[in-house]
Amino acid sequence: MTGQTTASGQENGRPLLQGIGVTKLYGGLAALNRVDFDVYPGEIVGLIGPNGSGKTTLFDCLSRVQDLDGGQVFFKGEEISKKKPYQVAHMGLSRTFQVFRVYRKLTALENMLLSRQWREVTLIEKLTPTPPKAVERARHLLEFLTLTHLVDEQAGNLSGGQQRLLEIGMALMPDPDIILLDEAASGINPVLINTITDRIRQLSREQGKTFLLIEHNMEFIGDLCSRVFVLNFGEKLAEGTPEEVVENEDVIAAYFGT
Amino acid sequence: MVNKIIAAVQSVIFNRRFLIGVIILLLLMPSLFYAAEWCKELESTTSPLQQSFCEYLIEERPVNGAVLLSFTQMFILIILASNWNLTGGFSGYIDFGHAVFFGLGAFGTALLMGSSRWEEWPAFLSGWNFWTAMAGGGVVAAVFAILIGAATLRLKGPYFSIAMLGTLVAMREFVRVNSNISGGGLGLSLPVILNRPFFFYVSLIMMVLVVSLIRWLRTTEFGATLIAIREDEVGAEMRGINTTLHKITAFTIAAALTGMVGGMWAYQNTFIDVNIAFNQNRTIDMVMMTMLGGIGTVAGPVIGSAVIYWLRDVVWANFLLYHQIFEGILLIIIVLFVPEGIMGIFKKEDSGTSLFGVIRGWGRKSARQGSPQGSPTE
Repeated sequence: MTGQTTASGQENGRPLLQGIGVTKLYGGLAALNRVDFDVYPGEIVGLIGPNGSGKTTLFDCLSRVQDLDGGQVFFKGEEISKKKPYQVAHMGLSRTFQVFRVYRKLTALENMLLSRQWREVTLIEKLTPTPPKAVERARHLLEFLTLTHLVDEQAGNLSGGQQRLLEIGMALMPDPDIILLDEAASGINPVLINTITDRIRQLSREQGKTFLLIEHNMEFIGDLCSRVFVLNFGEKLAEGTPEEVVENEDVIAAYFGT
Repeated sequence: MVNKIIAAVQSVIFNRRFLIGVIILLLLMPSLFYAAEWCKELESTTSPLQQSFCEYLIEERPVNGAVLLSFTQMFILIILASNWNLTGGFSGYIDFGHAVFFGLGAFGTALLMGSSRWEEWPAFLSGWNFWTAMAGGGVVAAVFAILIGAATLRLKGPYFSIAMLGTLVAMREFVRVNSNISGGGLGLSLPVILNRPFFFYVSLIMMVLVVSLIRWLRTTEFGATLIAIREDEVGAEMRGINTTLHKITAFTIAAALTGMVGGMWAYQNTFIDVNIAFNQNRTIDMVMMTMLGGIGTVAGPVIGSAVIYWLRDVVWANFLLYHQIFEGILLIIIVLFVPEGIMGIFKKEDSGTSLFGVIRGWGRKSARQGSPQGSPTE
């Protein structure tokens, strides 16, 4: 089934998100070295690699908190490597973070409502009362993420796993076109991981949402992804279906050092 | 036991009826002042009750000019601290030069009211009445805030604080040097007015309006966005918030209101010069009062200003030589024992934080996502 989406997505022409020769240098160290990748609409793509291989850096470059030192990134056919982070966000790119980035002193609901601004909200609109529809959507998402009882709790008081869930909710709040999930499954109990897996699959199938996931849990990746990119020392090591990648000798060498 | 007392105090002072009652009492306060004036002019009294009342008013002067002046000063400090809290408390940009807007407002108002001694000063920019001149002072401060904010608000954390402190000092010297406009060391004299109840009312009404405005802003998404910027600026930017726009908007609102207060203060003082208008102690007051009350809360600056103002009054009256030691000790006590201020004890408003909390936010900005070379800007 997942294979079909890939095929149809790629046949449908242009990639939704495309990187050409993406390069990022930290001093003399190349965190990303001429990485090419493409994500087609409706796909679920995995991004794996050992620690320090540049996965999160790639996400940071895509959401524009980091400047590229070379290469180009296209989102919806538009060059985004010169845009500001909030402009890219308004185009429909949302993400979660490896290190929690919830607003600690605000309540879970306020956190969700703020994420409404992932799509453009004017200053005047922000001074008028929040539309009830947005509040309803926020509550609905929190309910799905099993956080209903924590709606009015300060986000900083939530446990690690709950903050992770809240971040996923915040990323879903603006109804984005592509969602970058940075280790979304770490620190979450197995039952909830299954729920998240189901929900991602559902969003992808029913609404044609596109996902790009960083994950160390190969089971999670194998379950969901149609294609996987492997990064190592900032370079693309392999690309293919999860089955292909797992059997790739270079990948095994990179992970186990043999 | 302690918790019960705190809860009781909290239920009283955050009661809407109590607050309205306090405001009405304050509004009625100058009537005793007027009554005393009226009694003095009275030649013969008609009833014994009236006579004893008049004697009490004239001899005791329960509300004299000094009392009204004290309250006016307190209201001014409350407005200043509340404005400082809008940038320092909500958006987490600790501004050590906020007095620059106070000074600009004061000078703007003075010049617009026609106190310039310079012959070439354009005629249409002088002789304005107090209200338009005060608004003009606010506009001057707001325009300067947009210009300076566009540059300094790109800086993070301590770099911003230092840049604003530098702005204050630089602006003070700039105004001092341009002595044909500012009067230099001689200062400027405004039209003389001695009307304590007038300023009492103006500052009281301004205080109520400013605190209400900030309270309303906090309830809107705009206010929540400012706190989001304080908690995690880079995250906010990635979540589609145009942080620069929000920071500059909040900064400009705070600056405009501070400028207007500066203008009112200048008119009340009837004389300003560079050193008293651009006094950095005023910034320190704003920071300390907000910290004592509770950074990032609406009620914090109000409570903090009132407490410090009256404490200072008592200490000044009784131990003049030691009042600075007292303030230093108070600052240490705040930082060590009540980092979230008085509002932290009440736990009334969740968005409050401590100075440490704000600084931790700075750490999030620079250490986790900042550029590896450690440059101060994004």
